[in-house]
Amino acid sequence: MSVKTFRERIRESIADENLQIALDGNARHRTLGRLEAFSAFPDYQERRERLHAIKADVISHLDKYLEQFIARVTANGIQVHRAADAQAAIRIFLEIAREHNANLVAKSKSMLSEEINFNHALEAAGLKVVETDLGEYIVQLRGERPSHILTPAVHLRRGQVGQLFHEKLGVPYTEDIPEMVATARHVLREVFLNAELGVSGVNFGVAETGTLCLVTNEGNGRMVTNLPPVHVALMGIERLVPTLDDLAQFLMLLPRSATGQKLSAYTSLINSPKGRLDVDGARERHLILVDNGRLALQASPLAESLYCIRCGACLNACPVFREISGLAYLGKDGSIAPYPGPIGSVLSPGLLNCENYGQLAQASTLCGACKEACPVNIDLPELLLRVRAGEAGEKSKNQRHDEGIGIPPIVKLGLMVYRLAGGIPPLFSLGQWLGGLISRVYSPRHKYMRLPAWTGWGYSKEFPRLETQAFRTRWKGIKQEVNSGDQSIRKADITPVPEPKPARSLADQFTEELSLLGVKVYRLPEMDCKASLAEFLNERTIEQVCVDSVGENYVNGVAIVRTQDPTVRAGVTGVFVGIADTGSLVLVGGEDSPLTASLLPDIHIAILKESDLVPTLADALAKPEIQSATAAVVITGPSRTADIEMTLTIGVHGPKELHVFLIS
Amino acid sequence: MPETETVQLFITCLVDSFFPSIGEALVHVLNRAGVRVEFPVEQTCCGQPAFNAGLRSQARPLAEHTIQVFEKTTGEIIIPSGSCAAMLKYGYPELFEGDPDWLAKARLLAGRVHEFTEYLVDVRGISDLGSRWPGKLTYHPSCHLLRMLGVDRQPRLLLAGVKDAEIVELPERTDCCGFGGVFSVEHPELSAEFLKRKISNLEKTGSPTLVVCDTGCLMHIQGGLHRLDKGQRVVHIAQVLDTR
Repeated sequence: MSVKTFRERIRESIADENLQIALDGNARHRTLGRLEAFSAFPDYQERRERLHAIKADVISHLDKYLEQFIARVTANGIQVHRAADAQAAIRIFLEIAREHNANLVAKSKSMLSEEINFNHALEAAGLKVVETDLGEYIVQLRGERPSHILTPAVHLRRGQVGQLFHEKLGVPYTEDIPEMVATARHVLREVFLNAELGVSGVNFGVAETGTLCLVTNEGNGRMVTNLPPVHVALMGIERLVPTLDDLAQFLMLLPRSATGQKLSAYTSLINSPKGRLDVDGARERHLILVDNGRLALQASPLAESLYCIRCGACLNACPVFREISGLAYLGKDGSIAPYPGPIGSVLSPGLLNCENYGQLAQASTLCGACKEACPVNIDLPELLLRVRAGEAGEKSKNQRHDEGIGIPPIVKLGLMVYRLAGGIPPLFSLGQWLGGLISRVYSPRHKYMRLPAWTGWGYSKEFPRLETQAFRTRWKGIKQEVNSGDQSIRKADITPVPEPKPARSLADQFTEELSLLGVKVYRLPEMDCKASLAEFLNERTIEQVCVDSVGENYVNGVAIVRTQDPTVRAGVTGVFVGIADTGSLVLVGGEDSPLTASLLPDIHIAILKESDLVPTLADALAKPEIQSATAAVVITGPSRTADIEMTLTIGVHGPKELHVFLIS
Repeated sequence: MPETETVQLFITCLVDSFFPSIGEALVHVLNRAGVRVEFPVEQTCCGQPAFNAGLRSQARPLAEHTIQVFEKTTGEIIIPSGSCAAMLKYGYPELFEGDPDWLAKARLLAGRVHEFTEYLVDVRGISDLGSRWPGKLTYHPSCHLLRMLGVDRQPRLLLAGVKDAEIVELPERTDCCGFGGVFSVEHPELSAEFLKRKISNLEKTGSPTLVVCDTGCLMHIQGGLHRLDKGQRVVHIAQVLDTR
């Protein structure tokens, strides 16, 4: 069978009407979301410069930060393994799986796992691995690769998903997205509860504290890291930030760039395995740190691509991605590149195989929309140019590839001829004159000529005739009359002055942010809290709840369940601190504070004192408890997904409802 | 009115070979702005096509040639193209990285480079040249001009100063038109899709005239309009400013 070429796949994608509608929707929706999210940041440019500087420091001193990180993670009780390449990573994982006699693996999204072909290797070893991110689950059922690093099923429309669920899961066909989401919730809940192993990626590793940070919207990330007894995290060695404060800076831009949210629904901070007195959490945690070409990339002119935080903003902004989706980025061998879009056209050749994936870098007009969208200000056009120039190899080893990688020989030849003429001005003039003459003969009547389609240009547009009288020939005849009068007007100063925003109280700000997320906030005095809660539970005929040590004090008249019981409909918990500017709740796990109480039930009721509100995420992460706890989670609204047709649907894996009792 | 000044014109090979009348308009406009123009005739191409294709060994001799030609001159260098200006400003230093002698020359050159509208507005302090263009105009910001040079306010300010012109906003104006140099011949299918979208957005404005600051976009969009037998015309901003 002949291998499909990149251009053939591009043509197919353009001709696929369903795909085009889906991709247009993605581009519009995500671009608007991002712009809206950043409209509140007049200092956006400074913020992304700051992230760029932090990453530049991390990548240029990667050894130092890695050493610090590994020491901290190990001291925290997480077992660290280093894998030089994909094979090593898989071998290490399979050893862990064997040791625990694991058969079923619940997995949350990880681009690294795509890069190392993780699922395929596990299945070959006889393990059953189930993707639990909704989009990822859909593409796994279809036997496909994700088409977007964030929304893996972005190329599909609802009818296709409905048909898939009907065929694979035996449910009646539907086009109702909430119904499809409910099906996935039901099927995957069993996987979470029965898996012996949970596998996750890592969004950020914090060098100073050894914290693993994981960002998800659906809640599956929390599930796979908390419910199975053993958790294995896969992490690329470059995904480090120096401190928790740096982490806060990154988290302020990551979800905004990715989905237009101020914070994703769940930001998990994992420090260590379940402590002796903890009620829940994985009792054993492993971290597999994967190199797989990253150190070589660090030593190459493409090092800046390692600053990427996988937000997907460059994909959403890219006019090429908008036409073809992540499934069309093919190598010469016909394989789909593990990383799509602008960043993928640098990472795939840089990390894996330049000969194979180098041609992807030619599929760009260098329009710079990617760089503009990147929250870390990665100079993607510059990096694409370097891939094209064959500079994907290690500098110190003087590794180079052929320049002009992926350029057709005829175009190369043309550019060579042009270069020769350009070096000799009289020859250049002669060429212009000849060109003018030839084009006049070819198209005597029309200033724009029709070229055949095979020329590329002639595929969709006419080409202008050259002029026999070029500008350089006309120059001598141009009479200059330099104006020294004063007709012109000096330009006015047009810099707009931003209007200052009126100050609001933290409680007002917090309430407003939560209401934007569809969360009801009940503001009431302490003495009314118990009665209001009882009334709330009564109205909904909830007879048993799970609690943490704070929630317990407010519950009155209903049964309290202390085990991890998935049939309990509501969880009542305290909140360590609330974050005013994002409407987030920070919950800290530990003795008497099961994090699953805010995760497994359909309804989460959070109780928070106004005095425990802080202005920003950075203020919250600065609290010492964030470092000393086994794990913490930042909750921003109920569990959600937009994996099917960009349609926001609430309650995928985590709670469908979030209610906040804010005590004045 | 500031004092008169003499500048060097880097005409770009596209204007030189395909659209010399844009060059003439440009000289007239600069003259009107109190600027005398000199044109070093040994100039050819800046090397951007080869550089963007990744053929740096081919781009380098052209870059060296361009540097040598302008080294002999003094004054600001004016370029009627965002993408060629960006090549001289940012491409050359990248090209000569690791070659201190040429890098120093490239940096000196880069410091003298101005895109045409940026020069008029930011250096000469001009927003109104007494131009007149009856009818609707809409503006397409070229990618390199907009994102590499950050020039957007300047051409808009100049257009706002054109008498009798009604400036209408182009929907999705910052989308690439699909030219991209060799991209337009190497990936014709993608290029065609971008172009289709640009033309359909142009039609939404109801404007018969699309203004650009780059002849790459001009020949691309105009070529597409001709293929589709559309009546709209693409003009360079110098042609608008030269009309009275």
